[in-house]
Amino acid sequence: MAVVTTRQKASWSVANTIVALYALIPVLWILSLSLKEKSTFTDGHFIPRGWTFQNFVDIFQVGGFTRPLLNSIGIAVIATFVAIVIGTFAAYAIARLDFPGKKLMLGASLLIAMFPQVSLVTPMFQVERSIGLFNTWPGLILPYITFTLPLTIYTLSSFLREIPWELEKAAKMDGATPFQAFRQVIVPLAMPGVVTTAILAFIQCWNDFVFAISLTSTNSARTAPAAIAFFTGASQFEDPTGSIAAAAIVITIPIIIFVLIFQRRIVSGLTSGAVKG
Amino acid sequence: MTQATVQSKTRVAPGGAGVAKAKKPLSDGKRSERKLGWLLCLPAAVVMVVVTIYPIVYSVMLSLQRYDLRFPDKRGFVGFANYATVLTNEFWWRAFLITMIITVVSVAFELVLGMTLAMVMHRTVLGKGFVRTLALIPYGIVTVAAAYGWQYAWTPNTGYLAQLPLWSGSAPLTHQASSMAIIILAEIWKTTPFMALLLMAGLAVVPEELQKAAAMDGASAWQRFTKVTLPLMKPAILVALLFRVLDAVRVYDNIYVLTNGANGTSSLSITTYHNLISGLNLGIGSTMSVLMFITVAVIAFLFIKVFGTAAPGSENMGRR
Amino acid sequence: MRPHNHRGRLRSSLAVGAAAIMASTLVTACGSGSTGTPTINLYNAPQQNLAVMVANCNKAANGKYQIKLNTLPRTADQQREQLVRRLAAGDSGLDILGLDVTWTAELARAGWIREWTGSNKAEAEKGTLAAPLKTAQWGGKLYAAPYNTNVQLLWYRADLMPKPASTWAGLQKQAADLAAAGKPHYIEAQGAQYEGLTVWFNSLVASAGGSVLDPSGTKVSMGQPSVKAMQTLRDFARSKAADPSLTNTQEDPARLQLEGGFAVAEVNWPYVYPAMQANTAVKFKKDFKWAPYPGIDGPGKSPLGGSNFAISKYSAHPAEAFDAALCLRNADNQKIAATKDGLPPTIESVYHDTTPLDASKKAGPDNPSMVTAYPMRAAILSALKTAAPRPVTPTYQNVSTVVQAALSPPASIDPAATETYLRDQVDNALQSKGVLP
Repeated sequence: MAVVTTRQKASWSVANTIVALYALIPVLWILSLSLKEKSTFTDGHFIPRGWTFQNFVDIFQVGGFTRPLLNSIGIAVIATFVAIVIGTFAAYAIARLDFPGKKLMLGASLLIAMFPQVSLVTPMFQVERSIGLFNTWPGLILPYITFTLPLTIYTLSSFLREIPWELEKAAKMDGATPFQAFRQVIVPLAMPGVVTTAILAFIQCWNDFVFAISLTSTNSARTAPAAIAFFTGASQFEDPTGSIAAAAIVITIPIIIFVLIFQRRIVSGLTSGAVKG
Repeated sequence: MTQATVQSKTRVAPGGAGVAKAKKPLSDGKRSERKLGWLLCLPAAVVMVVVTIYPIVYSVMLSLQRYDLRFPDKRGFVGFANYATVLTNEFWWRAFLITMIITVVSVAFELVLGMTLAMVMHRTVLGKGFVRTLALIPYGIVTVAAAYGWQYAWTPNTGYLAQLPLWSGSAPLTHQASSMAIIILAEIWKTTPFMALLLMAGLAVVPEELQKAAAMDGASAWQRFTKVTLPLMKPAILVALLFRVLDAVRVYDNIYVLTNGANGTSSLSITTYHNLISGLNLGIGSTMSVLMFITVAVIAFLFIKVFGTAAPGSENMGRR
Repeated sequence: MRPHNHRGRLRSSLAVGAAAIMASTLVTACGSGSTGTPTINLYNAPQQNLAVMVANCNKAANGKYQIKLNTLPRTADQQREQLVRRLAAGDSGLDILGLDVTWTAELARAGWIREWTGSNKAEAEKGTLAAPLKTAQWGGKLYAAPYNTNVQLLWYRADLMPKPASTWAGLQKQAADLAAAGKPHYIEAQGAQYEGLTVWFNSLVASAGGSVLDPSGTKVSMGQPSVKAMQTLRDFARSKAADPSLTNTQEDPARLQLEGGFAVAEVNWPYVYPAMQANTAVKFKKDFKWAPYPGIDGPGKSPLGGSNFAISKYSAHPAEAFDAALCLRNADNQKIAATKDGLPPTIESVYHDTTPLDASKKAGPDNPSMVTAYPMRAAILSALKTAAPRPVTPTYQNVSTVVQAALSPPASIDPAATETYLRDQVDNALQSKGVLP
């Protein structure tokens, strides 16, 4: 892919534009709802006729959205990190080692991913309350690790086994120490899979509502999606849709930053892998 | 190839609940490999078991009892009576059918769209990072908020989509077929990026050289895709489909916001929620949870059977 | 109801999860070293000025107890879910519970809330309107202190419909005439498959002279009045008056359709009035009027809403909790809730109280009185006299769920057949038998 012709450029621009429209139109609509003045809220226009940033100001000033946002970031980052580390251990073992219990491990983790969470939260609430984890960061981090692990293990193990491990051997023959071989050959090759998994795990933790609403009771551990459930309109029956829309946009920004940072690793992982190969 | 490969070739059925099948004493290498395998799996296994074992066992136990929170005095063991009640109930089967339709249609679309999106994300020569980030935004949006967005968009007078002349004068969210279509559309929009990201990771392992070689042999782009790319991507496709289906069967948020099950759009999750949480009927509600679990397990089992060797943990793991 | 131009409120569509934050600040601010002072945990739906009321009561308690405000999520379903989960676990951290009027029987039957007796009972009943008081009773006993009430009225645009009819059929005819004249003609109602549909149907049954359950609350009553109610519901859904979105309309979309100029009238709670006054873009504000809730043969029986304070069985300080609950719902605090947060009072005298919140100053937008905030207070009071309470049964949620499912969508109701079917479903629901849709 050395030279990019103008024609290629043109056709890729079209493809990129279609992707952007697909991804963005519904998001821009939510943004538009968040920016519409109350009186123009139901006018049906895609682009607001009356603009206001009040919804954004309100969710922070009145709705106290800052703390839940910080909780969300802390909890999702820690949970993702731990899940990726121990998930990678398990995935490596499953992809590369031979040991009895491998299928059990895979089967059991899949079963955990399959059980409807709505029936798990009540017993989990009881347990967490009795051991003092209720309404704490670890009280959410633990279930998040648990429920992101199955996807982590599956994705990573199916990814790791596709890596041409012979390269590691070749590097060792070329005089590299095992650590060097691992660090310079295997890690770059594994990076795209790890990063992909991390992004998915992060989003999964970030967007969880069921556990967040059931296992927290105050702002000390409540995450951003759960905090939305506490928004209220000006009175009992008024829907705070403008605020919900604003919060949805705000909640999405860290995801975009997270993806922007880490998607580079997908690219660099691939190219450096290709060079070594 | 590696040691592991050689072993799995010689052994008939590796794994299987820790049953040692080897007749002769294990070599030191094998023993230490086993140990390492267990050791590496240990942290993940411990976390998963500790967090979920009690809740899962508890739910299963509840499904065998008559237990309505409002009538604590009438609690009692009823065997499989709850299962009989649920499995002979029309609401359950209607929700089952609706759920299956949503699952099959949305996942099928997502696979095709996700593959296309993955191709663009993987191969585009312009603004790769930009496209990849944009494409993931739908998956990153909080489902409930996105669902509210769709609801407003499809409400006559207030939404831009409902104003399209195509369906002027009617409210798409008030008819079964159109609300189903909208629910499915919302699902597809939201989760196609999930599919695409997993598939893109799969594409990344397809060696460029193979493609080039095939191209030199005169294979068309389509042939290269079906004969070279797809087979190599099988494991990634399996994982993406598997986890997407598991999720789709439990569809809740979008329906809750868009129709709350009105006009015949109630899913298994909605029905379960109504019985377990709103109805406070822990017996029937837990039974529904277990039945949903079994449904998903059967689907997962069939998937793994169909995809056979591509499944992680299968016989020729670690071999191409 | 909230004042028209109260700036702090108008600016924000988001009124608050911050009540909780404020409350905790207040608590720490005036917490008296806490030793010996029992903390009374109040769990309530989000309400902007509840923190102010809590502070008032803490001050009045003078060290006897300290109320701590815990805010529940916005939607009733989520509130109930959280309360029930904690009560089922025997959580002693709950003392006062803010309950929707339909939960009383359920929590009482499960043994989670305490009966009100003696002087507490007398205090809770004193001067309390009959309709809201009934919602706090079950089996002849009092289980909660009525905190606020609510009734739906008919809200209409007098510029299009100078004299709204008093019956659904009459309104349909007026709507048809408006439609023929090419004018906005929808009459908004809560036809989505949710609690609002049960509320509507229940009111129709009452207007037809019947009830869903018999007075004991243990048997299905329904019958001919129900058939009539279903017929009315169906005819409305098929008429020109029905918004095409009827089966997806809840309270707030109904309000927005009217404010947006797409409808001529709506049945809704009184919150629509201050909301309309706050909407700067509406041209027909002056013509926005209210009338009694429509009926079948004459004026109808309004749906009845509201919430009550109950005391948890697991409360460690029940005596203080009863005291605190009574303080929170006393006439002064009800006036704050009414004028600032739009929650109609349950104590009758509050409606006749003409002094503004700050008696030393003149009444005005920033210093509301019942007169400025509730121009429709006479209509509310008279609607409360005949309002239709929802069925009182521990399995109310089940009954409501099957009603919603059976009547949705209203246009395809087959009155006689649906009545037979629903009767069977409600009977099952009463015994918590079978499966909910």
